[in-house]
Amino acid sequence: MGFYILSYLCVAVFILATGYSVYRQLTLPVHVRWEIYPVQHETAAKAAYGGSYLEEVNWWEKKYESSLFNELKYMGPEILLLRGLWKENRSLWRVSFPFHFGLYLMIATFGLLLLHAFLTLWGIPAFAAGSAIKTLLDGLIVFTGWVGLILGNIGSLGVLYKRLTDLELRDYSSFADYFNIGFIFLFFLSAFVACLLGDPFLQGAKAYAFGLLTGGHSLNSYVPGQSLPGGVAIVSASLLVAYIPLTHMSHMYMKYFLYHNVKWDDAPNRRGGSIEAAIRKNLELKPTWKAKHVEADGQKSWRDIASSAPKEMK
Amino acid sequence: MNKPLKPSDMAKSSDCLCHIEPGELSPLPPPYADFNQATITPLKPEKVKNIETSLDDTVAIGIPKPASKEEEEELVRQFLSGLKKLFEKENNWTFLQPLLLSMKHCAKCQTCSNACPVYEMSGRKEIYRPIFRAEVLRRIYKKYLKPGGKITAKLTGDIDLNWTTIARLAELSYRCTLCRRCATVCPIGVDNGLITHEIRKLFSQEMGIAPKELHEKGSVQHLRVGSSTGMNPLAAKDSVEFIQEEMEEITGYKVEIPWDVEGADILLIHNAGEILSWPENVGAFAIIFQAAGVSWTLSSETTGYDAVNYGLWYDDVQFARVAVKHADIARRLKVKKIVVGECGHAHKALTVTADRLLTGDLNVPRESAMVTLDDIVMSGKLQFNPSRNNFPVTLHDPCNMVRAMGIVEPQRRILRKIAPRFREMTPHGVENYCCGGGSGFAIMSGYNFAEWRNLVSSRKKFLQILNAFQGEPRETPKYVCAPCSNCKGAIRDIINCYHAEERSRLYYGGLVDLIVNAMANMKKPIIRFGEEPSWAA
Repeated sequence: MGFYILSYLCVAVFILATGYSVYRQLTLPVHVRWEIYPVQHETAAKAAYGGSYLEEVNWWEKKYESSLFNELKYMGPEILLLRGLWKENRSLWRVSFPFHFGLYLMIATFGLLLLHAFLTLWGIPAFAAGSAIKTLLDGLIVFTGWVGLILGNIGSLGVLYKRLTDLELRDYSSFADYFNIGFIFLFFLSAFVACLLGDPFLQGAKAYAFGLLTGGHSLNSYVPGQSLPGGVAIVSASLLVAYIPLTHMSHMYMKYFLYHNVKWDDAPNRRGGSIEAAIRKNLELKPTWKAKHVEADGQKSWRDIASSAPKEMK
Repeated sequence: MNKPLKPSDMAKSSDCLCHIEPGELSPLPPPYADFNQATITPLKPEKVKNIETSLDDTVAIGIPKPASKEEEEELVRQFLSGLKKLFEKENNWTFLQPLLLSMKHCAKCQTCSNACPVYEMSGRKEIYRPIFRAEVLRRIYKKYLKPGGKITAKLTGDIDLNWTTIARLAELSYRCTLCRRCATVCPIGVDNGLITHEIRKLFSQEMGIAPKELHEKGSVQHLRVGSSTGMNPLAAKDSVEFIQEEMEEITGYKVEIPWDVEGADILLIHNAGEILSWPENVGAFAIIFQAAGVSWTLSSETTGYDAVNYGLWYDDVQFARVAVKHADIARRLKVKKIVVGECGHAHKALTVTADRLLTGDLNVPRESAMVTLDDIVMSGKLQFNPSRNNFPVTLHDPCNMVRAMGIVEPQRRILRKIAPRFREMTPHGVENYCCGGGSGFAIMSGYNFAEWRNLVSSRKKFLQILNAFQGEPRETPKYVCAPCSNCKGAIRDIINCYHAEERSRLYYGGLVDLIVNAMANMKKPIIRFGEEPSWAA
């Protein structure tokens, strides 16, 4: 039961930390535009060379159009295959891709395990033993699990090796960077050993996922926690789930904001629109910058200051 | 070889943290190989004895040395106070979200380094690496402002904070042109250019530290006198009157330049540097607009005849003041739109960045001159004889217009129509390299900074230009089209520094010059290669 309590706590930390991070991003004030081209939600013709709607005469008379399809077309390979790294930093991609893809496959495996657990729990007839759906799902779990573990082990060792041997990376790496990679490697290695030694079809993982939904009731007598590597895998996976949102590794999903809210945020400010309303609110904020030319006294708003000329030079 | 530096070395006392030795800069091809052993002329001790010079071979700001330990400590306190404000919405709503995201999510993968022309051309000097200054700020922030930072610093990356660290960081924020090429290639979307921008702001807005050319002689003079060039409205009008006369003499075409026409369709705002340094640019715009029958005007109001907005590079408050002033002038003139002339940073400042600042009737529509000119050239209102531009032409893409705004094709459509020997640089468009004069560098020349710019930050652009004209005979005049005043200034200085007019017959100019040069009803060419006209009248 101890493993389950740990997993529940870690999931709770993940939800709270991620929820807070996302909430924080959503409630930050609208910032000035700082997009950088190419902006991938532009029309296909413009996105191809990095053009924007600002290339149109009297662009403000036209409807602002953005293409979700173009964006997804770009983001799919970027997220799954790390296309940017492939293009700009091939030697790092060789280790970073298996590392990240291994993690993605672990997330996918966990999703499939949960699906398996739900279907088992609900006792759906189509999911009975020997049924096509069950066979397919079992096969998928084994496939994604093993491929993910192999890639993850290769990738995390590769990333660690690269960071230790490449001076460009080593000189900027801290203890925390090595710890993070080591932590992830510990999970991949222990899970790999646990499966290799006693659970090639991930039955223990299925049982553990079922237990997660049922407060510790197991599907069968074997759960990974009974072996040392299985126990380490559960503990390290649970702790990782809690730890990632607290570190820069949350870039896995916070990248959404880096791209959508900064790099590709090209939405024009229209009179009477929601952006204008947000700007009006911002302009009422009262800065306290101390340089004399700013002339902020904590009483004047950004609006007051922006519509005045500086009296002081410095 | 200098020994490899780490961000924590910023705090360690030494006379010069980074020095470029002969032969360390990226090599240039013949006939410029004699510059490969060049170094930056040492600063004269008597000129710099009272200012901070311990970063590298040059000085951009010239920060006075503190007189006492107490003063040093007070400056450190001010720095921390400013740093804190960067993370408060009251003080930094303008960039809070981008800053928070870039500060937290860097994976230190160094993908950005290969994209940076300053780092590459300097011979890969560590301090010019895009992540270097960002990492210094990140470590200070985590250690001195985050709870428990002094303990976690041992695990996440340590740095000491003292006056040396701060003085060097201020200078180092002026060794990046804010071209944001690094941000384009970052797989995560981290923007080291933005972090540099925020460091500059902290120093300016909290401590009153900024290069004189940007602040006192720049944005302050712009708001007080009317232009960062120092021209007041009367002087601007006089100069333009002179340009009007000159244009007729140069091209044989009589032009009227309108001022303060209420209700005109277009308020055209030039970088006032054009009026002083490239008057033919101002004249060429007037010829094109007049010939196309455009309803337009200039403004003679203070600030209204100078499109620059230096605040974009170092100070949000100054930025906001200038942008509001520009918009207010357009509002009162009741024009339909503002067209920003050939000035890259003015494009971005007024059209894009200020878009989240101007509300209500201050939100006057703004358009790039590239777009307006493309519309005119393609409309058939003007007749062209492209053979008049029968010389090799390449196009420089100003970062602020292209990478920061996505205005890529209009200027190319024009060139394809009027310049038969147009060829691209490699790379170009949104992947272009900065001219080396970005973020104010083109106008900063105190101490030996211009030399650093020519040898280091503009070096990549010079190589690109040489490559674009590879295979052309030396004696053939070659034209670098740079539709941006600051870029033109930087390219002019490269050409002078490397004697490229003599050695390669390199010339430079704007886009409007090329347009007018190809107009069929011009009696004489506007473009000359030294004393030689570009076509026979």
